Parts: sequence; structure tokens; C-alpha cells
Amino acid sequence: MKRLAVMVAGLVLLGLGLSQVSPFRARLEAVLHQGGHEFAQVMLSQDKGQALCSQYRDKLPADLIPGFLAEQKALIKYPQSGKLLGDWKNGEKVFTDPKRGNCYACHAGVASEVAHGTMGPPLTDYGQRGTLEAVVRYTYEKIYNAWAYVPCSLMYRGGVHGLFTPEETADLVAFLLDPNSPINRR
Amino acid sequence: MRTHKNRFTVLGLLALGALVGLMAYTQQAKPLDPFEEAMRQRQMYLETFGILPGELFAEEGKELFFRKGPSGKTLEECDFGKGKGVLEGVYAILPKYFLDSRRVEDLESRVYTCMQTVQGFKPAEIERDEVKAITTYIASFSSKAKIQVAPKHPAELAMYNLGRELWYTRAGARDMSCAVCHDQYAGQRVRLSPVRSPKQGLGNEWPAYRFEEDKLYTMEDRINFCYESIAIPKPEFYSDVHIALTLYMLAEAAKAGHSFEELPFFTR
Ligand code: HEC
Ligand code: HEC
Repeated sequence: MKRLAVMVAGLVLLGLGLSQVSPFRARLEAVLHQGGHEFAQVMLSQDKGQALCSQYRDKLPADLIPGFLAEQKALIKYPQSGKLLGDWKNGEKVFTDPKRGNCYACHAGVASEVAHGTMGPPLTDYGQRGTLEAVVRYTYEKIYNAWAYVPCSLMYRGGVHGLFTPEETADLVAFLLDPNSPINRR
Repeated sequence: MRTHKNRFTVLGLLALGALVGLMAYTQQAKPLDPFEEAMRQRQMYLETFGILPGELFAEEGKELFFRKGPSGKTLEECDFGKGKGVLEGVYAILPKYFLDSRRVEDLESRVYTCMQTVQGFKPAEIERDEVKAITTYIASFSSKAKIQVAPKHPAELAMYNLGRELWYTRAGARDMSCAVCHDQYAGQRVRLSPVRSPKQGLGNEWPAYRFEEDKLYTMEDRINFCYESIAIPKPEFYSDVHIALTLYMLAEAAKAGHSFEELPFFTR
């Protein structure tokens, strides 16, 4: 009985120690809760990567970068078939769909599509890099988890968040790399 | 209410015009410059109706401003930042700290507060559309005014710091924060929409009528629109989230010497 009480007290103390937040953090959390339950829930469930990018204002100190990249890489899932180069036709659908790829929000793609954003580099003629294994792998991993190459990039981690599946990621890779894809033909 | 009805008939007609305009907008081989397109639409509305939709909201807001609440008082009894009854230039100094509510408030939450504390309305009786219209009316007294938001009171400084923290918070299934788009990539476009930074005057055109949506947007509406577009559920109106972000953005715009646009503004 006594032992249990000591243990409980210990746990409570531990809990206090862990949850001790700065007054600023406490105030911030109160503000988030004022925004409503759903808002607070999303804002308060940052993963480790999001929390680091916020803390360092998107410029990570050099000594944190290798660990950050390794952790992001570990989040990448691959298709069961092992094929990283899929079907470009389906890739184009995912690329264009605002709910899945939404790639035109930031990138130029097929040359005839003029309603494209300019925040990311143009992907028109991306296939000029060829289809060597290293190019395919980089393109796959970049699309699945952009932060595995550029920490805190504006480009979000579509694969990690389940906006598209590993198979759809392979289709996106094909849309960028297949010589028959309209991205590489004019 | 008469203006209410007028507003909706006119807006119904306007929506048609906007739709035709929008189709032309998206079917062009070359994207139109969005600023030029907004100016063209504005001109069309003026020529067709002799009045801009935003002005109709301001008119409605004026009527509501002088409406007596359950306490028998109108909003003339509310201090919006420069003393009771003063509207000239108040929008340009908000958000600021108010002694009576012991809270930093933007114009929208100030209207919401005074409708309760001065006029005696219960929160459930206060319609969002009414607050928007009253906000538009009061903001029209700061049309083209220089932005003068400068946190000084400790509560304002704390609110500014909270706003900056929210500005940089990356969250949700799009990994976004306001800062990545509106600082790092200011000057670039999302699809066809050009993005500005606070230093370039971000936030200086609200309340505005958006012809693409056929709706009036206040600053709080605009913030919610960005949150929703990055897969973060929109925060509830009149929360410190809006007030903190607005204080941060407008203080930065003020440091860079910006002024408000014609208010209410007319935009895409
Ligand atoms: C919110 C904006 C945004 C969206 C949406 C976005 N990207 Fe990006 N993308 C960027 C930015 C910015 C970069 C450059 C920085 C970097 O590499 O992360 C980039 C880089 C890339 C690169 C690397 C380019 C190179 O030359 O190595 C590829 C490939 C890419 N994006 C593909 C995609 C695809 C495919 C999609 C849709 C699934 C997509 N992006 C969606 C912003 C975006
Ligand atoms: C994915 C990029 C992106 C993110 C993230 C983003 N915005 Fe925006 N924002 C935009 C775009 C695009 C527009 C529309 C620009 C236009 O058409 O004028 C816009 C418009 C605005 C405007 C009105 C435009 C103006 O010039 O006054 C405000 C205010 C604003 N955003 C605030 C915010 C705030 C606050 C956040 C964070 C909660 C945020 N935005 C997050 C892209 C973004």
C-alpha cells in the first residue's frame, strides 16, 4: 500500500516534470484552445519535424540536419512490388488532383497548362535527367517526403500524410520521367 | 430590413456578371493579370449598378450601428479606440488593448464585445453577418489611412509575440505555416494568385468584396480561408488566434510604412 502511494506520487511528480511548460507556451496553448477544439487539436499535434521547423523558423542549425534527414527518410514507404516507376497516365491524374498531388499549385508541368504556381521549380521536361536508378529513387523519395532532402521545405510531405499511396507516388515518378509523358513532350 | 433586401437582389444580378467574368478569366490561353481583372470587374459593377457591393454592406452596417440594442443604446456608446462615438481612423490603430474588456481586440471582436456589454445582446443573438457589416461600416472611415498598428502596452506586446509564434507554426497534413508562403515565397504565385508578405502590405485590403466568391470578407474571414486551404480547421471567430495574427501582420506592414486600400476594397 505504502509502496503504491510512493509510486503514484513519483508518477505525479514525473508527470509534472515532463509537462512543465514555459509561461509563453502555456499562453500559446490557451490561445489555440480559444480557436476551438478542432483547430487546437491539429495545431497541437505537430510531429517532431514540424515542431523543429517551427522552433527554428525553417532554418535548422547545421548539427541537427543529418539526424533530421535520416528521420524523414525513415518515414518513406515503398510499393510492395518494389517498382518505383509506375503508370504515367494515372500519375497525371494524381499530379492534377487538388486533393492528392496538387502539384500545379506550386510547379509548372505540362507546357500547355498556364494556371500553375511559381513557388517550386518548373518540372517541365523533368525527364531530361533520364531514368537511371539513382534518378528514379531520388524522384520517388523527394515526392513521397520532400523533407528527406530539403529540411522544412515549402513542399509538403504528401506521401507521409497519406495524400497519395506509394503506388501513386510511383505513378507520379513516371509522369515526371517517362519519355512519353506530356511533361516531356511538346 | 430594406437595405438587406436590396443588397441581395443586387448581389444576385452581380453574381451572374461575376460568373461570366470568371469563365473568361479561366478560359483564356494566357492567364489574365489578377489585379487588372479585379479593376475591370470593379469598373463593370460601377457602370452597371452605380454602386460597389462593398458599399452596400457598409450601408447595412450603418443602419445596424444606429440600431438600439436591448439596453436601449446604439454603438455610438462604444469606444472603438479613440473614445466614444469616434470612428475616423480607428480601424487603422486596431488591434489594441481596451481597459474595459481588459483584452486586446481587433475591430471585429470589439464590435462583438460592445454589442454585448454596451447594447445588451446575448452572444447567441449576434449574427456573424451583422458584425461583418458593422465592421465594414467602421473600417470605411479608415479608407486609405496609414496603418498605425504599433504594440506598446504589455498586453499588446504579448499578443504580438503570440501572433509571430502562430505565424511560424507548421502543422496539419500540408505541413504549412503562414510564414513559408507569405515570407519565404512572397512575390511568387500559388496557381495564379500572387502572394504578399506583411512587409509588402499583406492584410491592407480587408474588409473587401471578393467578386470570385460574391461575398464580403473581413480580415478574420481571410485568415480562416488560408487556414482551411492548408487543411487546418478554421479557428472560431473573435478568438485570440485572429487578433494575434492580425496584430502581427499589421504591425509589420506599419513598420514598412503601408496604408490601407480603399475600404471596403474590391478584389478577386
Ligand atoms: C506548396 C508548394 C509545392 C507543392 C504543392 C509541390 N511542390 Fe514540389 N517543390 C516545391 C519547392 C519549393 C521545391 C524546391 C525546394 C525543395 O526541393 O524542396 C520543390 C521541389 C520539387 C522537386 C525537386 C526538383 C529538382 O529539381 O530536384 C520535385 C521532383 C517536385 N518538387 C515534385 C513535386 C510533385 C510531383 C508535386 C505534387 C505531388 C509537388 N512537387 C508539389 C514546392 C511544392
Ligand atoms: C500555401 C501558401 C499559403 C499559406 C500557407 C498561407 N497563405 Fe495566406 N494567402 C495565400 C494565397 C495564394 C493568397 C491569395 C492571394 C491573392 O489572391 O491575393 C493568400 C491571401 C492571404 C491574405 C489576404 C491577401 C492580402 O494581400 O491581404 C491574408 C491576410 C493571408 N493570406 C494571411 C495568411 C495567414 C495568417 C496564414 C497562416 C494562417 C496564411 N495566410 C497562410 C497563400 C498562403
